[in-house]
Amino acid sequence: MFFHIVLERNMQLHPRHFGRDLREKLVSKLMKDVEGTCSGRHGFVVAITGIENVGKGLIRDGTGFVTFPVKYQCVVFRPFKGEILEAVVTMVNKMGFFAEAGPVQIFVSNHLIPDDMEFQSGDMPNYTTSDGSVKIQKDSEVRLKIIGTRVDATEIFCIGTIKDDFLGVISDPATAS
Amino acid sequence: MSGEEEENAAELKIGDEFLKAKCLMNCEVALILERKYEQLQQMSEDPMNQVSQVFEKSLQYVKRFSRYKNPDAVRQVREILSRYQLAEFELCVLGNLCPETVEEAIAMVPSIKTRGRAHEDEAIEKMLNDLSLIKKFE
Repeated sequence: MFFHIVLERNMQLHPRHFGRDLREKLVSKLMKDVEGTCSGRHGFVVAITGIENVGKGLIRDGTGFVTFPVKYQCVVFRPFKGEILEAVVTMVNKMGFFAEAGPVQIFVSNHLIPDDMEFQSGDMPNYTTSDGSVKIQKDSEVRLKIIGTRVDATEIFCIGTIKDDFLGVISDPATAS
Repeated sequence: MSGEEEENAAELKIGDEFLKAKCLMNCEVALILERKYEQLQQMSEDPMNQVSQVFEKSLQYVKRFSRYKNPDAVRQVREILSRYQLAEFELCVLGNLCPETVEEAIAMVPSIKTRGRAHEDEAIEKMLNDLSLIKKFE
């Protein structure tokens, strides 16, 4: 889910930037530093939308650098266990399939794909029901439920399932057009 | 992690910080990101080079999965859903997934039933009806 939240960060600024456009420098550095990053707690920082407040700077002993506490509003994407969302399938193999929901990768193991769907190999590997009515392949849109998340320093990975009511393929690229 | 209890969106356990935070529906995120992208476009020739991969992927994602395109409809969706005493998170899940039946809505957002609130099936049905009307007239 996307959220609009306020975060705080201490920004270090070199004295050469002190002047009229100090604030602009601070903001552009902040954008460069945090946009696109990911933390386990807040998820992926997608975009900064505004600056709430820039606190008083503090000169660091011995370096001349100044630290400013900056409060900023941003759009973050944070997946939660138990959350249901839509995603695009990016890769299918006999272990299951990978899907992407914005910046996050979700793996759905073949144990968590309904039992009546069989893996079909070939140049377009896919999972298909025995009557061929439902097919999951690359670029399919699926609705899935996140059942687990794994967080490391710069990335969040999710495990999902489509083995539940109202989950599964929403649209199939082959039949849609 | 900091000893927090296990999260589960189905029971609305998403941590205090996120529970109080403002949630955004995909269509709202699309409006925000597109605006920001336009601003970048004005400043430089090749904005795709300027933005992070996270931004690019998010923008593609929300464009693909926005149920409502026009800004007025987006505003209306939030207004209608906010009449039903939903948590921010529940509101956005409903806005994103647009369930068609009461059963589906409860499967998508189990917490609307479990928190002991007065969400009768009729109320949910009315809410879903209102939502589909916006879609129709968009």
